[in-house]
Amino acid sequence: MKGLRGVLSSVRLPALSILVALLVGGLVIMFSDLEVLAMIPNNPIGALGEGIGRVGAAYSALLRGAFGNPERIVEAIASGDPVELARAARPITESLLKSIPLMFVGLGVSVAFRSGEFNIGGEGQFLMGGLGATTFAIVLGGAGLPAPIVIFGTVLAGAIFGAAWGFIPGFLKVRAGSSEVITTIMLNYIASLFVFFLLSNWTLIQREDGTQPISKALADYVVIPGILPIPELRLHLGFLVALAAAVAVSWFLFRTTRGFELRTAGLNLAAARYAGMGASSSIVAAMAISGALAGMGGAFEVTGTIKQFSTVVSGGVGFTAIAIALVGGTRPSGVVATALVFGALRNGGGLMGLETSIPIDLLFFIQALVIMFIAAPNLTARIIRLPFRRKSKEAVA
Amino acid sequence: MSLRLELREITKQFPGVLANDRVSIQVERGKVLGLLGENGAGKSTLMNILSGIYKPDSGTIIVDGEQRVFRDPAEAIEAGIGMVHQHFMLVPVFDVVESVALGAETATGPLGTFDRAAARAKIVELSKRYGLSVDPDAKIESLPVGVRQRVEILKALYRKSDVLVLDEPSAVLTPQETEELFGIIRGLASAGTSVIFITHKLHEVLEVADTITVLRRGKVVGSVKPKEADPEQLAEMMVGREVQLTVDRGQAKVGSVTLSLKGVTVLNQAGEVAVANVDLQIRAGEIVAIAGVQGNGQTELVEAVTGLRPVDSGEMTLNGESLVGASPRKISDAGVAHIPEDRSRDGMVKGMTVAENLMLNSYHRKPFSSGVTLNRSAIEAAAEKIVKDFDVRTPSIHTDIASLSGGNQQKVIVGREFSRTVSLVVAAQPTRGLDVGSIEYIHKRLVEQRDAGAAVLIVSTELDEVLALGDRIAVMFEGQIVGVLDAKDATRERVGLLMGGAAV
Amino acid sequence: MSKSAKTNAVATHVMGAEELKALRGSRIRAFIFAIFALAAFAAATANSATIANLSLWVDTIGGTDALISFPVAIVWIGSGLVLGAVAAAQYRLGGKYRWRVGIAIASPLIVTALFTTLLAGTPANLTVLFTGTFNYAGPVAIGALAGIISERSGVLNIAIEGKFLLGALSGAVASSIFGIAIAGPIAGAVIGALVGLLLAILGLRYKVDQIVAGTVINLGAAGITTFIYLRVLQIHSEFNSPVSILPVKIPVLGDLPIVGNLLFTLSPYSYLALILVAFFTYMLFRTRWGLRLRASGEMPAAAGTVGVDVMKLRYRAMILAGALAGLAGSYLALSGTGGFGMGISAGRGFIALAALIFGAWKPWNALGAALIFGFAEAASTLLSILGVGLPPQVLLAVPYVMTIIVVAGLIGRVRGPASAGRPYEQG
Repeated sequence: MKGLRGVLSSVRLPALSILVALLVGGLVIMFSDLEVLAMIPNNPIGALGEGIGRVGAAYSALLRGAFGNPERIVEAIASGDPVELARAARPITESLLKSIPLMFVGLGVSVAFRSGEFNIGGEGQFLMGGLGATTFAIVLGGAGLPAPIVIFGTVLAGAIFGAAWGFIPGFLKVRAGSSEVITTIMLNYIASLFVFFLLSNWTLIQREDGTQPISKALADYVVIPGILPIPELRLHLGFLVALAAAVAVSWFLFRTTRGFELRTAGLNLAAARYAGMGASSSIVAAMAISGALAGMGGAFEVTGTIKQFSTVVSGGVGFTAIAIALVGGTRPSGVVATALVFGALRNGGGLMGLETSIPIDLLFFIQALVIMFIAAPNLTARIIRLPFRRKSKEAVA
Repeated sequence: MSLRLELREITKQFPGVLANDRVSIQVERGKVLGLLGENGAGKSTLMNILSGIYKPDSGTIIVDGEQRVFRDPAEAIEAGIGMVHQHFMLVPVFDVVESVALGAETATGPLGTFDRAAARAKIVELSKRYGLSVDPDAKIESLPVGVRQRVEILKALYRKSDVLVLDEPSAVLTPQETEELFGIIRGLASAGTSVIFITHKLHEVLEVADTITVLRRGKVVGSVKPKEADPEQLAEMMVGREVQLTVDRGQAKVGSVTLSLKGVTVLNQAGEVAVANVDLQIRAGEIVAIAGVQGNGQTELVEAVTGLRPVDSGEMTLNGESLVGASPRKISDAGVAHIPEDRSRDGMVKGMTVAENLMLNSYHRKPFSSGVTLNRSAIEAAAEKIVKDFDVRTPSIHTDIASLSGGNQQKVIVGREFSRTVSLVVAAQPTRGLDVGSIEYIHKRLVEQRDAGAAVLIVSTELDEVLALGDRIAVMFEGQIVGVLDAKDATRERVGLLMGGAAV
Repeated sequence: MSKSAKTNAVATHVMGAEELKALRGSRIRAFIFAIFALAAFAAATANSATIANLSLWVDTIGGTDALISFPVAIVWIGSGLVLGAVAAAQYRLGGKYRWRVGIAIASPLIVTALFTTLLAGTPANLTVLFTGTFNYAGPVAIGALAGIISERSGVLNIAIEGKFLLGALSGAVASSIFGIAIAGPIAGAVIGALVGLLLAILGLRYKVDQIVAGTVINLGAAGITTFIYLRVLQIHSEFNSPVSILPVKIPVLGDLPIVGNLLFTLSPYSYLALILVAFFTYMLFRTRWGLRLRASGEMPAAAGTVGVDVMKLRYRAMILAGALAGLAGSYLALSGTGGFGMGISAGRGFIALAALIFGAWKPWNALGAALIFGFAEAASTLLSILGVGLPPQVLLAVPYVMTIIVVAGLIGRVRGPASAGRPYEQG
């Protein structure tokens, strides 16, 4: 009982934040619609109705895109055809697929947060992970090694590349006191330029025609295997690894001596030093682990989902991950839950764009609002209480 | 006799604490009021009300017979009240002129250009008039603390303050500098300035004040004239009962040398010598107390002994084994307990539970750790035991340590350090900021450690504590040990002189 | 007597330790400089036959060229000599030698030598390079100035990028609607000021971590500007047809040969940057406002206890910083490149952040950094147009790499305002 109540109370603020952010997003949809705006002078009520209708249409598409069409799912269940059922459920598996990189990078950012570091470099670490995985997939794939070894090697390479990119800011922080915020921002751009450079100049990984900064398409042989029996359902092994990573991070943070040291360094660096914990190594380790997780995210995204590497694979995942870590309270369970929600939103955003031509970039704005509401709980409380204030006063009277 | 300033029935409530309870004080023109009280008696709150930082819940402030309300510091300054805070309010990268003028700048022209020349001239004139010699162009961070205090006083005079409030001004000064400060205060008073002198040191108010008002637990317990007061009576007013100036302890049973320092030199953060060529030996079963004004190398010495700061040169051994270059972990594992000077910065982790805090220096050992993972049940069992043994008042071992009182937080630290057998105890300012009950408790525990055969090194800036606990008393001045006295030879006067760097 | 003797002993000890460390450092530096000098001489030998052909526009229309030709080797030898001299002086004079001056003299020579070697005889137009540098540096310097004002008051500002985007969008839309040039920058400044206010409310009132608050602005700005661009501007291009603010020729000075083109026919934003940097340098370091601003960024309690309203001051600084950043951002959409586009700031807000750190929170130094970064950007464009072998990404990475080098303390250390980022509780 008490456990359930605890879960509910820890979920309340994040859930409210996402809800309020979606409401504000609705207002943005309404007031950026020139046709609706044009109606206001003549028919304000009609404009409001029309606006709400359009927001409804957009969000309905968003939900159907994320979780599938309920009618179709019901029909599929009724028909009992497993293939039909799987196809009806495809949006759900696609949502899960979209959540994989978010989970990895979100976990990475959380580990850094727990050690007191603000890792804004998820973007760069993700890209470097993708680079490492691509390179090794091509090299190992050509060496005729068995597929499981190749796949293990590519993911490991992604983790190592990401870890290296996370290690640099951690090391500079410890050695020179450089703010990791600044170094990770700069390293994002350096990673992006570096990857761009390699994809335009390195014939080993560059696409054969060499006209675009895109890698060769990865052979089926080196691609991360799917975990569902129907090929259209693209959900791959990366999802299970992400869940396992969350369990591992949770175990590491709360059950191991190293994790205890890391959390101590995050809460009070001076006390960690006093207790003889080698606080510096905790910071470096946390940043490297953070980068490794982000790098694994990049590896699975490239070799599992997109199957081709380019500079745009990250698509802002490093920043979304900050939102996920904050909404999830930097707890692995919270990160997984939030990543699933955000993955669903991202996936649903595709159908929303298709059906109502509302750009998916709205989601970035909504994410920003979610971070704001989570980080400023008092502000959120004010916003939420506003419409109820009068009511509650009346009730008292 | 004209009243310059009067506070009537000031009350201020903080969550859980009644900091000021109908406090009334009066200050006459050109007189010095000594405000005496121990830590937590409500002195600072009262001063923050007087300087416009806090607003009182009730009560009135009367300046020159006129009732006033200070909504912010600017209004208090405008009424002629100048504060010298215990922690100096000076921007380190500013120079003296900028620091003094800040907030009271004369500005000219459409852009509000700061008239530096005028400010500088005024500062030079003031420092000449009141004998406060200061280089107006020096950067604050390059000035010694005694000079910084003069800058603070100049700041008040620059604003034409004629009520000067000094909050624990001697805490960072040597006895000589304190004497100089008293001279300045007398000079200011004879020139018509009223001074409120806040301290917890009896002899200071006796020396410099015209009237002494004693605060205890947020209430005024009485006012006396120094000539009519005797120290014991004042002390009793301050702490509310007979003060136990000596800790109940038997003769030390001294064993072999535990900690030995030979020619130890330690550098501070800025790379300057903070501890210079120190020789010191502590034997099992004795307490060596290091006296000294804050900032004379005690902090660095403790950090060196506990491995937090490298030893630049010299030998340092524990039971014959060298400690030079050893990590804090290795030193702790070798049987050294450390009660840190800054409790909330070093000694505990807010945001973690009492149990986790109790494990800070032993989590990596069996049975609490298997090497990789933590053994929760062992940790919880040990935590429950320490909480019980050391009488830590906490709702549960899973409570966040931040929600405990200062005394109980210190008990957590002491419990953590003393719950295993150690051969050396290093305790820096072990009772700073604690109430009398907690102080007695901590002192008792320290003596227990001694009697159990540990060598105990105590560093304290409180002369009374040093005299009460030390079997031998070493005095540090400018990074050196300038004298070591046996407890029976150590008098206030001798130790005080050594603290000020005077030869015995 | 004995006391003073001991103190003296202590003093010599300090000097000894520090001197030794400084000496070791200076030896290492001397060695590194010597290697660079040798490399420069080697380059001179390798490129002995290469001739540099650089051209400059003589008149303002850009028709006539003035061609400058000289052997590349001369520049290499020159930089080699300077570096060698620095190395020798460093070795001889030890820790006291001020080597940064030598580096400052050598750097332009090395850059010129590298540049001309890479061109390998291909004629390059320097006028484009220089005007490109100045036009790029203008908005970046203003953005850095915004960051300086905000951080000097005690509020971290990583949101310059977001303000650039919003300034660009609002500038494009306002300029399109009102049809006058000045509407763009004004709208950019107004929206920027509002964003600054939001940042202040989040960071100061609700005590949101200032990095988080900045991330909110950057992420939100990227989302909302792209959203509005795709949903409104792309369909209704009448909202994205701003009046361009093109380079202005300053009367008389602009007609001078060569320098008229190089220095006096620039975007108004570049001149504005110069004026603002001069103005705010004065304001920060010579006025009452500046004294109080710096105090509240270094030690807010010191300002608060003498009656300065730190909160109000920070609010105003944040609004001012927002206005400056928004104003600078409007340039991106108004410089005649077809109005607002998705992600038009392309990281320039972060380059402004880099410039303020590289410039150690000082306006003139930040302007200098912006010029260096602008040169790197302009050179990369020029080299890739000329098809020179140096990948443009190398030059584009210059601002980011240099910033990391600076914050890593590899060349001297920069110290930011001590209290930036910490919330302040008054009373």
